[in-house]
Amino acid sequence: MTRRTRTRSAAIAVVAAVALTACGGGSDSSSAGGGSSEPVMGGDLTIARAADAISMDKTTTFDNNSIYVMQQMMQPLFTVSEDGSTVEPLLATGYEVSEDQLTYTITLRDDVTFSNGDPLTAEDVKFSLDENTATGADGWGFVNAAIDTVEAVDDQTVSITVKYPWAPLIADLSIFANAIIPADYDGQTAEQFYEAPVGTGPFVWDEWQRGQYLTLTANDSYWGENGPYLDSVTWTVVPDANTRKLQLQGGQIDIDDTPDWSSFESLSTTPGVTATAFPSTRMDYIAFNQQVEPFQDVHVRRAIAFAIDRESMVDAVLYGNGEPANSLLSPGTPYYDESVEGPTFDLDAARDEMAQSSVPDGFSTSLLIASGDPNQASVAQIMQSQLAELGIDMEIRQLEPTANKQARLASDFDMTISAWTMDIPDPDQWTSFAVDPEGGSHSAFTYWDDPAVIELNQQAQREIDEGTRQDLYTQIQEQAGESAFLAYLYYSPYAYAMTDAVQGFQVTPLGNYPLAEVYKTE
Amino acid sequence: MFDRLRFVPIRLLQSIPVVFGVTIVVFFMVHLLPGNPALVLLGQSATPERVAALNEQLGLNEPLFDQYLRFLGNLVQLDLGQSITYQRPVTELVADAVPITLSLLAYALVLSLVISIPLAAVAASAPGRVRDAAVRAFTLLGQGMPQFWVGIMLILLLGVKAQAFPVGGYGKTPGEHLYYLFLPALTLAIAMSPTTIRSLRASTIAVLGSDHVGTARSKGAAGVPLFRQHVLRNAAIPTVSIIGVNLGYLVGGSLVIEKVFAVPGLGSLMVNAIFARDFPTIQAVALVVALFVVVVGILTDVVYTAIDPRVDLASKERA
Repeated sequence: MTRRTRTRSAAIAVVAAVALTACGGGSDSSSAGGGSSEPVMGGDLTIARAADAISMDKTTTFDNNSIYVMQQMMQPLFTVSEDGSTVEPLLATGYEVSEDQLTYTITLRDDVTFSNGDPLTAEDVKFSLDENTATGADGWGFVNAAIDTVEAVDDQTVSITVKYPWAPLIADLSIFANAIIPADYDGQTAEQFYEAPVGTGPFVWDEWQRGQYLTLTANDSYWGENGPYLDSVTWTVVPDANTRKLQLQGGQIDIDDTPDWSSFESLSTTPGVTATAFPSTRMDYIAFNQQVEPFQDVHVRRAIAFAIDRESMVDAVLYGNGEPANSLLSPGTPYYDESVEGPTFDLDAARDEMAQSSVPDGFSTSLLIASGDPNQASVAQIMQSQLAELGIDMEIRQLEPTANKQARLASDFDMTISAWTMDIPDPDQWTSFAVDPEGGSHSAFTYWDDPAVIELNQQAQREIDEGTRQDLYTQIQEQAGESAFLAYLYYSPYAYAMTDAVQGFQVTPLGNYPLAEVYKTE
Repeated sequence: MFDRLRFVPIRLLQSIPVVFGVTIVVFFMVHLLPGNPALVLLGQSATPERVAALNEQLGLNEPLFDQYLRFLGNLVQLDLGQSITYQRPVTELVADAVPITLSLLAYALVLSLVISIPLAAVAASAPGRVRDAAVRAFTLLGQGMPQFWVGIMLILLLGVKAQAFPVGGYGKTPGEHLYYLFLPALTLAIAMSPTTIRSLRASTIAVLGSDHVGTARSKGAAGVPLFRQHVLRNAAIPTVSIIGVNLGYLVGGSLVIEKVFAVPGLGSLMVNAIFARDFPTIQAVALVVALFVVVVGILTDVVYTAIDPRVDLASKERA
């Protein structure tokens, strides 16, 4: 069993253990601290994080702090499983696909109500999906680009037709932007509605003091069987990591949403505090701009990819809490293939590749990073010393974070550090962004153009059969690795620290954390 | 005295071009920065096409000068525009942040006076002796210690160990605000005190050596009553302007304290707006800060005038 499989199995086992615990199984759980088996009703949960939410408009918000809040109130038809590998029905009971793969018939649960008491019907589904599709450029509408029509067949049945066979459809329907809200915004304007959104979720809107705190309270008429156990959830804004840590240790908050990796060890050994690293879909990588000499030369890219000591980066940046990345996809993403061999740290192979390249004696280049980011600075310094072994003189170029984003968007860099986290439990959102120039970003701003891989990606989008789809994505991962159009760095988990009283807190590999089954012991 | 305050309305009028100038400089400087709001709003999903389309929608592709004129036009109607990031009136965001920063600064000012006046008096009463050296050592330390370190130390000692104060935050009721703001205000006060103490100490020593104090002493005045009735008002004059300058600087300089103590004031609003390229908010905060500095300058002169009957800033003979 490879280390990755073991980690994944361990994660699944832990998740299963906690799920059993929450159902009263009484088995020991190591992930959320303590082994209490009966959910305790009541209690207020306080989560501190570095920045505030921006908006509750589910179709135009790209900011995680907003998304994780709105997901407690508004739910989609399907949702990602706890281990990220599949999509499960949530407001739907299931679906059927027509023979020509162009029509999906989705049946809804008949026991779901919105928090205002109204029952969920197919009309609400049609309204919500159409709302997202209509957003266009400034929102998540692009996720619904394959959808042709959405019809309410009867109160409990929705029919969706697509323009072409589209494998990611059900995963697309699980994104928060496609969450179901009351038709016609419950009689309000869109703006009024999103001031205090109404949904089917376990929590309802309470209060938002911008820059300070945002509070939701329990939905007493929640349709779900389990939860909500908490009375309320409050997210506070605490920009400094040290302050969050001290607040956690002092009991002023229950959960610290991003403890520094440097404090992770000491937090896990602090009495009364549990630190957990949840598997994520995040992949950090170096992008090579193939418009700049000599990065159009595959040997140069491979040489650099072989020269990177990923383990020492994991130690320096993540304090050991992560793994070197082997593939374009990350372990929490469906169709990730752990057997794909991406370049690993091998200086001999690197020198070999350099010898075969167009610049065997080395060259000068630069790495663009964001200023004020100590992780990127560490990675850059490690790379600098390693590339020097190949005769590559790498300058570190720092730009203010937003200026850095601008430079990346304009492909104004030689090499740059970046990362991706999945928003949808399907590889297509990322693979199309990364390998297909039609994906809008010139292949993650690298200008990589490999017709064979582009073709594979387009086939994979349309392939409904899971076995065949896996084959296609395996090929894509292999070829992307061989071409080294990106040099993969590492997979890093989501770090969370919480008091021992918090039970049942789980984070999916997409980063969101449904709170219905969370409770606090005393 | 009110006769001598005639200068206030004139100074207010004179400050309008200054404030106006600040808005022009900030507006054009901020638009020179690479990056734009759409880029930040779209997160990792940003592509050149989507960014361009969103910017178009946000009205950011208009010529700069037109955008500036629109900003001025709104300003005249006391409308600070719409925050691009939050899609809410900037006036709302600023109105939330200003009282927080003002109360933090006022609190810090009071605490710094509470620290500075007695310490300066103690030092000045025995120049060159042990207590003077101790006070001067304290001012050196205060100037040398970085604000965020002092803040974290106070949190650790008074917040976590002694559990006497909360660790960061702002609270919900006015009473809670006083409680939550104590540690950040104290941190700022410790940062502000050294210059105040030194100035006050120096001017106190000078005043203590003056004739009128000698006369008062010969009549039996001593200790605190002597200080309060005969010394303080005279010694305070140069210190008042130092405090004024400090306060003006602190409005922007309180950012580090705001971050460490999670106080949602103007500093945080400004920095977040800069990262997000939320132009209307950046301009509005710059405007507010400029106004604040101007007002503090005028207030400093008002305090002068109140303390010292010889001062007449409205007089035309003043050079």
